[in-house]
Amino acid sequence: MKDSVTITIPSHPGYLSMVRDVTARFGEIHNLSEAVIADLKLGVDEACSNVIKYAYRGATEGEIVITLRIMGKDLEVIIEDEGVRADPACIEGRNLDDVRPGGLGLHLIKRAFHVYEFDEGRRSGNRLRLVRHLR
Amino acid sequence: MTIEMDKYRDATVMRLSGEIDMYSSPGLRKELLSLVAERVSPLIVDFRGVSYIDSSGIATFVEGLKGMRSFGGRLKFVAVPEGIMEIFTFSKLDRVFEIYGSADEALSG
Repeated sequence: MKDSVTITIPSHPGYLSMVRDVTARFGEIHNLSEAVIADLKLGVDEACSNVIKYAYRGATEGEIVITLRIMGKDLEVIIEDEGVRADPACIEGRNLDDVRPGGLGLHLIKRAFHVYEFDEGRRSGNRLRLVRHLR
Repeated sequence: MTIEMDKYRDATVMRLSGEIDMYSSPGLRKELLSLVAERVSPLIVDFRGVSYIDSSGIATFVEGLKGMRSFGGRLKFVAVPEGIMEIFTFSKLDRVFEIYGSADEALSG
């Protein structure tokens, strides 16, 4: 069995629930705990929401490709889009003590994943790699 | 996500169910901010039926709370499920939101 799943969704917020469902089911198949699955669902959802907001700037006709796979003792998620390039140096969450709307999504992604890195060699769009160490 | 409005004693109650995400939070924001504009207080938000919340939902409530405070209103959360409480705690919003076990506790707090 090839331990990976790839789904492609339109850059429309209505499809985020589908991403969460697939992420949760993938976690269940691989016997991950409910707590870990909850973290992963939220982290992947937040990363895809960021693609819709920042890469596609709310346009709903873009495409987001999400791949989940087991790599030894890690779960890796790759999220690819053809939207506006992200500048990793400019991406930061707000200070959690500074209570205001927004700026929380990145914290929730980093809460779920130990590795958060953009493929800076990509010519167009974005390729975000997320890794959760499972043991 | 569905929103049902109700009254309990002197309070207005917003009962939420389902998932609050980037797709559903604009509807929630519209409803919440219209209550703020009407200066409805106290407003109790019942989370009993909520199975999921993301950062857009949390941002909506932060905005609602700020609106409430602008006129001295009170926004109170009740029956917050454990998984959602964990997100509030992680984001340090458990120190900011008024969170109670039940509507009766919220109205005596």
